[in-house]
Amino acid sequence: MKVKIFHENIFTLQQGKKRFLATRNLTPGLEVYGERLVQVDEAEYRIWEPKRSKLAAMLLKKLPSPFTTTSKVLYLGSATGTTVSHVSDIVQQGVVYAVEFSPRTMRDMLPVCEERANIIPLLADASKPQSYANVVEPVDVIFQDVAQPNQASIALSNVQHFLKPGGYLLMSIKARSVDSTAKPDTVFKQQLKTLLEQDNSKLELVKKQKLAPFHIDHLGVVVKKTE
Amino acid sequence: MKTWFADIEINEDGSVAECSPCTQDVQQLAKRLLVFQADPKQIPLASFDPVKKAIECGFVSGKTEYYSLLQQTCIAATRLKIKNSYSPDLRIIHAVEALDDIDEAANLLAERLGIWYGEHFPEAGMLTENLAKFVAENGLRQDLPQDSQFRETALSSVGMEMDAEDGAIIKAFAADLSSLYERRHVIESYIRKNMEQLAPNLEKVAGANLGARLISMAGGLQSLSRMPSSTIQVMGANQALFKHLRGKATSPKHGIIFNHPLIKNSHPKIRGKMARALASSLSIASRVDAFSGRLNPVIKEKLDRKVLSIKEGDK
Repeated sequence: MKVKIFHENIFTLQQGKKRFLATRNLTPGLEVYGERLVQVDEAEYRIWEPKRSKLAAMLLKKLPSPFTTTSKVLYLGSATGTTVSHVSDIVQQGVVYAVEFSPRTMRDMLPVCEERANIIPLLADASKPQSYANVVEPVDVIFQDVAQPNQASIALSNVQHFLKPGGYLLMSIKARSVDSTAKPDTVFKQQLKTLLEQDNSKLELVKKQKLAPFHIDHLGVVVKKTE
Repeated sequence: MKTWFADIEINEDGSVAECSPCTQDVQQLAKRLLVFQADPKQIPLASFDPVKKAIECGFVSGKTEYYSLLQQTCIAATRLKIKNSYSPDLRIIHAVEALDDIDEAANLLAERLGIWYGEHFPEAGMLTENLAKFVAENGLRQDLPQDSQFRETALSSVGMEMDAEDGAIIKAFAADLSSLYERRHVIESYIRKNMEQLAPNLEKVAGANLGARLISMAGGLQSLSRMPSSTIQVMGANQALFKHLRGKATSPKHGIIFNHPLIKNSHPKIRGKMARALASSLSIASRVDAFSGRLNPVIKEKLDRKVLSIKEGDK
């Protein structure tokens, strides 16, 4: 397979006509959720399936990646840690604060945290950022995938408390969880309005992009904190 | 302000005025973290950098040590929190789900036994649990005891002949099925017993089975008690509800609570009113159960009065 750099620490592997997104495995030999491991010239890569990860879908839909090797990341809605493990691959010398609300899914994520030194698990409610404010430091990137009706305001309160000036918020808005009966486009507009049209929110839309065909009725959004 | 590793006083210029770092004991730190999480106060301001301050305070000597200790602490805290997150109603939820699984499996097996044994002795005329018990006890029709009431019909049966080997197989199959039915009864009485302890009011109004099912569908007694009664009324009628919300149908009158005799045995004309009265009574009962846990007979009495007035009004 031929390896190409897609973004910093994110790669694409070319096999014939097929192209896969991948990250370099932080813990060689270990897979996290049954994903394919591929060995190419001394390095091991983990295939990153866009249908299973909103972040992967966002990257493939050409939303910019703000992650660097040393990024500090606050990850809201980490679930069982599939996407978190790829973020942990990308920010090899950084830190991922992974917030998840459900004890049941957190139980599945703990083994991932134990293998990877840069993931810090927080079993907490993302809509109450003050409950983890005594642990989390100011971060470069906030990624949010929480599927809650008040997604935008959850993102906003975390951005205000934790995002460094010049940092980025990446979120995937799931229209079906905000309002199952309204038209997705209406929901997206209303959520973006909550996010961007606050007084002194200092947020600026960089790019938005629907995540179809990987995820139906999802909108990927990248927002920058200006000052 | 309070951070996970120390209580810190900060000067106006941002330097550390006073700091008393905790010891590096992971379990102690984890407990401290959980206390804050449950009741956050004196939280650090935005843009406060705990990593720098931890080094300034002398809690750790460098970043690597800080992150390693933080990770260990957070993992320990998460473990503790997961361990404490299991509620007693989880046992009931699993029991109800086990009951559903048994039903599904038992129906499938009973159907098979009915067809299989029916080839041999179609005149037996029994179904499901009775048939399973009968076959498990007696086996083939030529093995029936002398005093059996089926002796006569067995002799003149039009069914296919089976030999001892067939008999052994079908008898064992029926025994397995029969023990599945027994297990079902055991689980049912387990649910009844536990419902009386866990949610006495709900048990009184809804009955043990329906009550347990409501708890299981809501995901716990606490979450059931937080539901509005209109949600309880249509819980289990999801398809109909969403069809209604999309504007394509009338609103559903009842979901899982249809199984309550009050609704099932009522005339369709008053089922809507009954469902509303029952649902509101259920939601009150679940709230009393979730927050006091003592039986309050008034709830059931009020429902009975309401039911009477609905029936009167209908006449």
